[in-house]
Amino acid sequence: MSKRFLQRNLAMVSAAAASFLVAAHANAWTLKEAAAPYSGTTIHAIFLDRPGYAAAEKLIPQFEKETGITIKWDVVPYESTRQKEVLNFVSGGAQDIVLVDVVWIGEFASNKWLVPIKKFTDDPKLADPALNLKGFFPILLDSFGTWDKVTYGLPFDNYSGLMFYNKCMLKDAGFSEPPKTWDDLLNVYAPKLTNASKNQYAFALQSRRGETQSADSFMRMLWPNGGSLLDAKFKSNLMSPQSQAGLEYRQKLMKYMPPGIVDFDHAEAVNALAQGQVAMITEWSAFYPTLTDSSKSKLGDCLGIATEPRGPAGLKPALGGFSLAVNAKSNAKKQAAAWLFIQWITSEQMAKPYLEAGGVPARTAVYQDPAVQQKYPFVKPMVESWQGGVPDYRPRFPEWPAISEIIGEWGTKMMLGNVSVKEGAQTIGSKMEAILKKAGYYDGKKPLLK
Amino acid sequence: MRSGTVSHGAQAAAARKRVRLKFWPRSPAFWFLFPAVAALAVIGIYPLLVALYNSVHQYRLADLEAGTPFVGLDNYLATFGDATFWQALGRTMLFLCMTLPIEIAVGLFAALMLHRPGLPWMRAAARVGLVVPMATTYAVVGLIGRLIFNRQFGVANYLLSFLGVQPLDWLGDPTLAYVSVMIMDVWQWTPFCALILLAGLTMVPKEAEEAARLETRKRLTILWHIERPYLLPGLTAILILRSADMLKMFDAVYTMTRGGPGAATEFISVYIERIGFRLFDQGLASAQAMLLLVLTIVLSRLYIRYIYREIA
Repeated sequence: MSKRFLQRNLAMVSAAAASFLVAAHANAWTLKEAAAPYSGTTIHAIFLDRPGYAAAEKLIPQFEKETGITIKWDVVPYESTRQKEVLNFVSGGAQDIVLVDVVWIGEFASNKWLVPIKKFTDDPKLADPALNLKGFFPILLDSFGTWDKVTYGLPFDNYSGLMFYNKCMLKDAGFSEPPKTWDDLLNVYAPKLTNASKNQYAFALQSRRGETQSADSFMRMLWPNGGSLLDAKFKSNLMSPQSQAGLEYRQKLMKYMPPGIVDFDHAEAVNALAQGQVAMITEWSAFYPTLTDSSKSKLGDCLGIATEPRGPAGLKPALGGFSLAVNAKSNAKKQAAAWLFIQWITSEQMAKPYLEAGGVPARTAVYQDPAVQQKYPFVKPMVESWQGGVPDYRPRFPEWPAISEIIGEWGTKMMLGNVSVKEGAQTIGSKMEAILKKAGYYDGKKPLLK
Repeated sequence: MRSGTVSHGAQAAAARKRVRLKFWPRSPAFWFLFPAVAALAVIGIYPLLVALYNSVHQYRLADLEAGTPFVGLDNYLATFGDATFWQALGRTMLFLCMTLPIEIAVGLFAALMLHRPGLPWMRAAARVGLVVPMATTYAVVGLIGRLIFNRQFGVANYLLSFLGVQPLDWLGDPTLAYVSVMIMDVWQWTPFCALILLAGLTMVPKEAEEAARLETRKRLTILWHIERPYLLPGLTAILILRSADMLKMFDAVYTMTRGGPGAATEFISVYIERIGFRLFDQGLASAQAMLLLVLTIVLSRLYIRYIYREIA
């Protein structure tokens, strides 16, 4: 072999090795390096007083230590969150990480208050190669973080409606499993589980005026019966036989629910089950830690978890949750810092720590672990619910908050018997259509997006 | 001629100096009042002017891309045609008409008890105790109400159980929820009425009271003929302040019932808050708030005209 041949091959091999090393170095993205330019930055967030946020608060020191970015947060009641965030957007208040409820994404995105994540995912310095957007449950990424095919946020605090029930109360009444259908619940289970003289009731449906009434109570009764709020042309569908059947069903269920149910919010419904006053509730999956906390719940081993009952239209459980997005009004440095946090807390790497801290991640991989399924009994029904759920369980367009106020008022009036189901539905329908007409959905000014 | 010119010039200079002095008075009273007036201007007058400006413009926080065009009286006309606004206002006026007389009557009774001679230490303790409800934040009062009127473990139902009454659904029943809010308002503000009326009673000359007691034993006669004139200024202040307070009542109601159940406790301020900070229609909410201000001014003028009397 000639010397020249060896020299040529050695040069080629060296060049190839050098290229490989450069490429390898470029692909070794680390959070620490990505965050280096933003070390010392302080960013602000708004959190709720719920288990998912408490979980994030436990993990934040790890992020701060690794990046040098400081996160400050305000804990705000849900009913005040949208107000606080909109005022921050409009007045330039200190907020960099935006908490986006599934029903706010349309409003926030339409007003250009959020930064599309493409800005960050296209930046190799900020985008974690392991981000893997396909690793999220599609329904969650689409519903919570995406509007008009643009993704603005990553799913963070993720709920499905689940049935939590007291196995012991059901067993005492002669039932070995929870009801599989809403019809069974009303006609078979409820009469045997209700004893008003002992202050025991079969079911509690949180129905307080506000988003609780519109999302948890009103909408929950429409979908399983094959009804819906709007038809394909965005006209009211509340007068359809299916929607009316759903709302009438709720009225029939009233006598098997505690008195004052119209004033029950999440805390009251969860507490009613936890203290043994009711046998079953359909609540957000996020309340599992509360129901298993022995300092707050008497249930112990009596707690059972299942998917929500099915209706004639099948399994149509409540869908809700929040994504985290970046405030478009923040400066570039804070936007980048906010993105790094959002990307980190919702990553596949942090899914298990977040779950163990009390949160509910949106990553499919973490729930495939048999040990996780064993340890967290809510996982199986929750995943089943997400796989078959209704993406537009509530419309996500900007007009939803106004419509929710109408449903909150008239939905509670229906339950109180102040108006009949038909009158209430007609009133909600006409007021809702007035809002949508004014917004331009009926004359083509606005696309029919929800 | 020259002296006349000088005289004329001096007069003009003196006049200018008087104008300057008038503009910047040396009166201490002016300078003592100035900080308070300046604070009032910043905290009260400026927001009022901004609200007035917003009320004649379209101003939707969640739709700023549509701009903020001048719309004249459109927001006011929309308010006049809004049945929900008038229902909320009616609910509020009913609340005022029912709650205020109770607060004044109970407050007067408490003031008369505290005005009696004897037991000075007990009267001092009672006066201090009266301040506690008034010092409680509105939102906390609402939260306390939620606990007191809880159907399962509330104090209200516990006390009623001693009378053999079944637990009442205070916060889930529209009428009882309304009554619950009334009770909390009476708890919080009756002491205010008592203290104001007590202050009026302390101004009654002792000689007049003693002479009246020699003339008659009827307590009501003494109250009406001797003490009433001294109570009227305080009563007017109570009426004006409590009416304004009730018309803008929000925090306690919102934390207690959120305006529900249904719309049973949706008072006018709760409704305006919904328009302004949930639907984010600042223009419409400002117009409603301006109408509420007009109502408050009208009521105040009526109280001053028909109830207030100077003490002779």
